[in-house]
Amino acid sequence: CGFSPVYGPGGAAEGLYGQIAVAPPRDEPGYLFVRHLEERLGLPDAPLYRLDAEIALDETGLGVTPDQEITRIQIAGEATYTLTDLATGAVLQSGEARSFTSYSAPVFSEQRNSIAGNAVTVRAAESDAVERLMTILGDQIVSRLLATAPDWR
Amino acid sequence: QDLASLVADRVRVEGNARLVAEGDVEILFRDTRLTAPRIVYDREIDRIDITGPIVIHDGGSTLVLADAASLDADLRNGVLLSARLVLDRQLQLAATQVARLDGRYTELLDSVASSCEICAANPTPSWEIRARRIVHDQEERLLYFQDATFRLFGVPIAYFPRLRLPDPTRDRVTGLLIPRVRSTSQLGTGLKFPVFVTLGDHADITLTPYLSSSTSTLEGVYRQSLRFGDVIVEGAASNDDLVTDDLRWYLFAEGVFDLPRGFRLEFDVEEVSDRTYLIDYDYSEQDRLATEIEIVRARRDEFVSASLANFETLRDSEIPIRDQLPSLYGQFELEHRVPVGRGEMRIRLDAAILDREADADQIGRDVTRIGFSAEYGRGFVLPSGLVGRHTIGFDADSYEVDNDTRFEGTSGRITPSISTELRWPLARSGPGGTRQLLEPVIRVGWADSSGDPVPNEDSVLVEFDEGNLFSLSRFPGDDRIEEGLRANIGLGYTVIASSGWSSNLTVGRILRPDDATEFPRGTGLDAPRSDWLTAVQIDLGERLDVTSRALFDDGFSLSKSEARIAYADSSLSLESGYLWLEEEPRDNRPFDTHEVSLDGALRLSRHWTGTFGTRYDFNQDRSARAALGLEYRSECLIVDLSLSRRFTSTDTLEPTTSVGFGLRLAGIGDTRSDESYRKTCNG
Amino acid sequence: QETAIDFGGLRQDTTQPVEVASDALEVNQSDGTATFSGNVVVSQGAMRLSAGRITAIYAGEASAGRIRELRAEEGVTLVAGEDAAEAQSAVYDIDEGSVVMTGDVLLTQGPTALSSERLVIDLVNGTGSLEGRVRTIFETGER
Repeated sequence: CGFSPVYGPGGAAEGLYGQIAVAPPRDEPGYLFVRHLEERLGLPDAPLYRLDAEIALDETGLGVTPDQEITRIQIAGEATYTLTDLATGAVLQSGEARSFTSYSAPVFSEQRNSIAGNAVTVRAAESDAVERLMTILGDQIVSRLLATAPDWR
Repeated sequence: QDLASLVADRVRVEGNARLVAEGDVEILFRDTRLTAPRIVYDREIDRIDITGPIVIHDGGSTLVLADAASLDADLRNGVLLSARLVLDRQLQLAATQVARLDGRYTELLDSVASSCEICAANPTPSWEIRARRIVHDQEERLLYFQDATFRLFGVPIAYFPRLRLPDPTRDRVTGLLIPRVRSTSQLGTGLKFPVFVTLGDHADITLTPYLSSSTSTLEGVYRQSLRFGDVIVEGAASNDDLVTDDLRWYLFAEGVFDLPRGFRLEFDVEEVSDRTYLIDYDYSEQDRLATEIEIVRARRDEFVSASLANFETLRDSEIPIRDQLPSLYGQFELEHRVPVGRGEMRIRLDAAILDREADADQIGRDVTRIGFSAEYGRGFVLPSGLVGRHTIGFDADSYEVDNDTRFEGTSGRITPSISTELRWPLARSGPGGTRQLLEPVIRVGWADSSGDPVPNEDSVLVEFDEGNLFSLSRFPGDDRIEEGLRANIGLGYTVIASSGWSSNLTVGRILRPDDATEFPRGTGLDAPRSDWLTAVQIDLGERLDVTSRALFDDGFSLSKSEARIAYADSSLSLESGYLWLEEEPRDNRPFDTHEVSLDGALRLSRHWTGTFGTRYDFNQDRSARAALGLEYRSECLIVDLSLSRRFTSTDTLEPTTSVGFGLRLAGIGDTRSDESYRKTCNG
Repeated sequence: QETAIDFGGLRQDTTQPVEVASDALEVNQSDGTATFSGNVVVSQGAMRLSAGRITAIYAGEASAGRIRELRAEEGVTLVAGEDAAEAQSAVYDIDEGSVVMTGDVLLTQGPTALSSERLVIDLVNGTGSLEGRVRTIFETGER
């Protein structure tokens, strides 16, 4: 049906594994983002390209109870990325990856059945949601780079 | 003695003192440039008489137009007739007579100041300030008005014997800001009078008295930027009719500092006097306060973070059991990535300490944890185009538990794990140059914990989405690790059209030989065959971006469905969030959550913009919040009207409606509207 | 539109005798002209006109009658009292009493200097006008 392995012989991304170096991070989300991209693109040993990304996060509250408690938070993330050719410095590919993840902050009350919803559980859920968002944005960028490999390689 | 240069089409020298220049005359002196059709320079009295139309650029942001003028030769002193001063292409001052003094002061007599476009059709500007005398100090960039009347749409509104305003190029100057009106059903109609005070070049404070029929409040924001960091402190103090006996206050402080060797220190202080203060005054929607300090550094191959936080709840339902909530929570995390052969060794050291004020058994549990983990991972590409990654590792944790008889004092846990992931990305170019990628993925993993049972403090709220479809452990924290053999299978499909729209679809599921009872029911992960995870993302260039995700079982009964839609074009911007969560009592979610929120702004016309926001709760079958806003914006005036209603009902919080009205002058200080709002005269 | 520059110094009686001194002289009987070349200096009363080469055109036949017109080239300087004018070339029409200087004209009058493309001096009533993107520098007195 016309599909051929991208990394396979004659594939548009043949030999690309390990050729893309990801720019260093500045904060925790960035660290998780870079770590995941290096897992997917291969640890760079002789890189020919560099991938830069600027990540913006934005939280919105949902699931508001009558008591004005916010019980669900959506983190929207946007990663604006550029792929540059290390030799010439030319920008080969750029774009934005967008997605969101969410976490819960359920109401923790006297007649509760579990500690779900206390500040520690919510904080762990929030940082896990950020980590998952970095994975999703990273995967989206890798898929786009592989799909458009014939255009820039 | 300075030299002024003159250029003209024709020059005539009369006597040895008078020089007459005509035809596109231009005089340049230091950075002042004057152009006029005819000038006469008399060297005896060092005077230049100029016939208009005269244009004077002062090199900075001041432009002077006049019909006639008589200035000294260095253009610094003199009188201009029927002149107009345009500051920073924004604020215009017109006067029959304008005097320039020492190149610094410009004095305008019976003058009009306005930044509004004046059209021949209706000559009254939206606002103007008429004054007997206006002095513009070019060095301090300030405007001093004497006997000034502020007129709105031609109607005199306010009279100021003395008034001082910053000129448009000046953004930080101490002085009064434009008052704002705020009226809410609880606090009545009140006025806010903000005063901005600069404290040197790197700090300022804004004090805002807020007075209404039922409150007298002082709000303050202090901002300080240092060479190595910034600090912002905001707060307020009130006594009002809602809480009669004592003072109500809040304090939020935030600081970020750059430390040596790439470390960054952040601190946050959040204190409030009583539970509903923040909501009553619309200071913040936060229902939990955290005072914390954190040191963090992130590098490509290393992440270090140490933090200590103190939590305080504002939630009505949590107040009675406040001492059973974690009050103190410390975390330490160090992860190092070391290249080993063609792979990478990840060494991780982490620790946490949690303290509850209560001491009773179980409900007053305090926990200290220290963990060490090491995982070796190696990626590879096979000739067939398969790309994969092996990992092998182990995790060791030791716990110190107090006030909980279910766990011994000290307990430990060892968890080896191993996994292999295989991906087979396949690509195809469709018609018209569309690029398609189909990627089947499978990750088989195994982990097995042995040791004592350990408490679960941080791995209670579990989510399942494409972000952890292929993770080895889907628990958010360190207290639980996903055990047993399982296969995470998934298929990703991405299409990118040359015209710019793109879309991707992900479908996945987790297969296990037996139940995974440690996962709560609502997560969709507890059965041997997990819920189906489907996620769709559609991106139409800049205009439309839709992301939606759903979890449903084989019988297609939904356990979770969420979506986010963002649309923006030149006149309309919309953002909407949809949420459906099945009830999960074990997770303290006693009933379904079913809600949609919509926020948008519609540019109705060149000047009018409508904003709206609402949140509809399907379970309660009514909207939890509705807000409407209308803004009139022109090059010189910004009027905003806002109406918002919160439908909450508890014993201490009733539904509130708040109406806001604000009027801001653009072109004064640094408020500015972009050109698309400028009034056009034919309009 | 003629404008006049008041040349206090240049009010000249153009009927005074004109003396011409130069390194070399070449007379051309056929068209009644004489060409002085090499440090040519023409003096008439208080006015001095010097140039690299000056061609004199005589009313009668050459080198005998009265000079009707002087054509100066290769860098011309005209000095009268405290005023001085330089240009690439100039034509002094003695009968009309007018000097037209063209090409990088620079007129200095005491502290003021004016430059332009063309300068017309009327010696009878001592005025002159500059044309063509006139440029001048003048001191602004902090007197």
